[in-house]
Amino acid sequence: MTVTNANREPIIRVSDSGPDRSLPTSVSTSDTIVEVGSTGFTTIEPLVMVTRNGTTSFYPQCSSAKLEDIVSAVNETGDVTAAEPDATVDHDPETSQLPVPEGIGLEPGVRDVTGACGWRRPTSPADHKAAGGFVEPDPEAVFDLGDQLRGRGWGDLCHDSSLTETWEAVRAGDGEKTIVVNAQGPDADKLLLGSAPFEVLDGAVALAHAVGGDQVVVYTSTENRHTIETVREAVSAYPDLSLPVDIATGPAEHRAAEPTMALEAIEGNHRLEARIGPPGPESAGLHGQPTLVHTPRTLAHLSVAFRHGEPRNTRMVTVRGDVEAPATVEVPETGTLKTAVDAVKLTGEFKAASVGGQFGGITDDLDIGVDPAALSEANLGTEGVVHLLADERCVVKFVGQRTRYAAEENCGRCVPCREGTTQLADLLRDVYDGTYEPSKMRELTTVMETSSICAFGVEAGRPARTAVAEFEAEFEAHADGRCPAGSCLETLEV
Amino acid sequence: MSSEHHDTADAPPLTEKIAPGTASDPSTGSDAPATVTVDGQEVSVTAGSTLIDAIEAVDTDEYVPALCHYGREGIGPRSECRTCMVDTDAYGVVPACSFPAEDGLRVETDASEASQARDVNFDLVLSNHNLRCTTCGKNGRCELQDGAIEQEIEEPRYGVLDDRDEYEPLDDSSSFIQIDRNKCILCNRCVEACNDVQVEGVLRVEGSGNDTRIGFQSDVETMEESTCVSCGHCATVCPTGSLVEKGIEDATTIPLPGFTQKNSIGKSHENTGKTKGPMTPKKRQQETTEPQMDGGNDLVASADAAATEDNSPTDNWDDGESDWP
Repeated sequence: MTVTNANREPIIRVSDSGPDRSLPTSVSTSDTIVEVGSTGFTTIEPLVMVTRNGTTSFYPQCSSAKLEDIVSAVNETGDVTAAEPDATVDHDPETSQLPVPEGIGLEPGVRDVTGACGWRRPTSPADHKAAGGFVEPDPEAVFDLGDQLRGRGWGDLCHDSSLTETWEAVRAGDGEKTIVVNAQGPDADKLLLGSAPFEVLDGAVALAHAVGGDQVVVYTSTENRHTIETVREAVSAYPDLSLPVDIATGPAEHRAAEPTMALEAIEGNHRLEARIGPPGPESAGLHGQPTLVHTPRTLAHLSVAFRHGEPRNTRMVTVRGDVEAPATVEVPETGTLKTAVDAVKLTGEFKAASVGGQFGGITDDLDIGVDPAALSEANLGTEGVVHLLADERCVVKFVGQRTRYAAEENCGRCVPCREGTTQLADLLRDVYDGTYEPSKMRELTTVMETSSICAFGVEAGRPARTAVAEFEAEFEAHADGRCPAGSCLETLEV
Repeated sequence: MSSEHHDTADAPPLTEKIAPGTASDPSTGSDAPATVTVDGQEVSVTAGSTLIDAIEAVDTDEYVPALCHYGREGIGPRSECRTCMVDTDAYGVVPACSFPAEDGLRVETDASEASQARDVNFDLVLSNHNLRCTTCGKNGRCELQDGAIEQEIEEPRYGVLDDRDEYEPLDDSSSFIQIDRNKCILCNRCVEACNDVQVEGVLRVEGSGNDTRIGFQSDVETMEESTCVSCGHCATVCPTGSLVEKGIEDATTIPLPGFTQKNSIGKSHENTGKTKGPMTPKKRQQETTEPQMDGGNDLVASADAAATEDNSPTDNWDDGESDWP
């Protein structure tokens, strides 16, 4: 089988978020079965999809035994609905994107940049080619698209900013130029590299050609074994690869995603700390040479833009926290946080959300748009991770934990971050002793934001700063010895 | 990384195994001579300058402490203390010690955001500093003390490090240099002096977060066990009483019975009696057995090894479920 959508015979796709799970041996030899990556909606996985002649039936949370039943029923009858599917959808028989049925929870968001996820075989060049991939755009076209795109994630050198100016600096620079694919970040980046690695590699390779790059380095955590394995397979299957694509790993630590610490890790430094600048990595990056650092999200958006002639205005958002299972959903920029949150089942009543990753802003308003301007306006982060808090959660405790985490996990280089996070955690702890000083917290978080070396310190104060603004009554209650959520009770009784 | 695009053939053999634990910062000086305006006064600086060079050349409206700045012998800028923040017309608030002096840039020291950042960051430095000046060997010749006086700090916002339980033991094990990490502001001058100037490869920065400290590349705990040659450069560049030459550690202690630098901390690593000369036993052994310097650990550790040290499971960092409060 070369192309999965040329399907006279039924094709059974197995989409599984658990990379360590393998197909039961009774069916793994069947050539009608293909393994695809995660859809991003982990709650319905393992998801089995049976496709024939433009009809696909869906079997969410499918057990091995059920899969065996499906295989034998479909092989016997040739009917995709033979094994009582939960949903069925008719679609273009040639579709290269997951067709979304009604009723099994796959509806939220769109499937565009994530179209391959859960549908195409991750490391099949034929599937990617059939979807319009492996185009080789000319450099000017790449630059034009870069003008319309913004970098995604704090691991991106162009976080929330337009890409072209940085690319120009690399193109104009001398030396050996590297494109780093920074996959140390959140679930969305892992999803893309695990389910649609060619979308990411396509973007990186085209970008390398546009700026005169000499190599691509895919950088991820040593613990993302599935990502490493998938990328390795994709690189070796990549047709006519014209430049070296290496894989480098760094420690599984939050700070390792910061672009300059990513470079330190790739260079092999045993201890990671942020570099100062200017100049930034675009002129003095990996081994002092011009370097771009982009997240898989940024590069996949670029790659999909090649095919459409313009970027897709969507954002990938992972929703986690007090949910049955996390989900990564692609939301149009015109959508709101609610669109993303619809993809998960909360384990209680909604109380608040931490929006923007580890150091997101705290809000109880899900009607805020997901585009960077709307999020920034609302003092929220653009990292693409929303952590939901159900009503039994204490916001004071949550931001206390996030702040203490910042104090323990920062690189230790600059004072506003190293000492600031420690003092901020102490100020939050003091609330329990009756001392609540919001203005002191605001002053401290302001200085952390204006004077830290890297985004870690700039953002580390955001949970506390926004929570104090949005949930002031909870802080005051704690200072009075009460925890409205009831979760800090033991401490307060001491 | 599997690529072999970069080799270290140009590096002198001795520096290959030096691992100071710090980032490979880019050169932050200006490309060309520049004229900048500092608080309304025009200042011309040479190529390779940062804004601090211009600021130091004039009387500024407000004091710019720049505690970690050294600016000599190729040491720095570390740009860690962020007490040199100034406002610029083109780039907003920037650290003067590591921001290129760009021609035509207008710098204001008294802009409120910059001024607030210097104030708060100075207090943050003090929050983690043992302020027992009266027993300190550097009392009266301490850059932190000078800065605090100049900055007119009377009551630091976040207090000072005065919890005896939190003190790190004094390292009094070397016959020549005493280390009191409770007074360290992590300016990194000693690490650079030791590695970049003396090329001895003894000191390093280690740890992260609030466990960040100056340690030894040979993975040992005390100065006596390290590969130190007692050159003293670290003590020379130390801005505080953190690294002090032995013999004068109590030089400025106020003369009251019971007042000593050592009992201000209350615990210390002592000399084992084995060390006689300036070179530590480890260094002497190394000199006789190995002509090439070897810090004793794998200095270009692989990323895998770095990850092994980290016990956190995947995604642990996104949970934030630590004990609180």
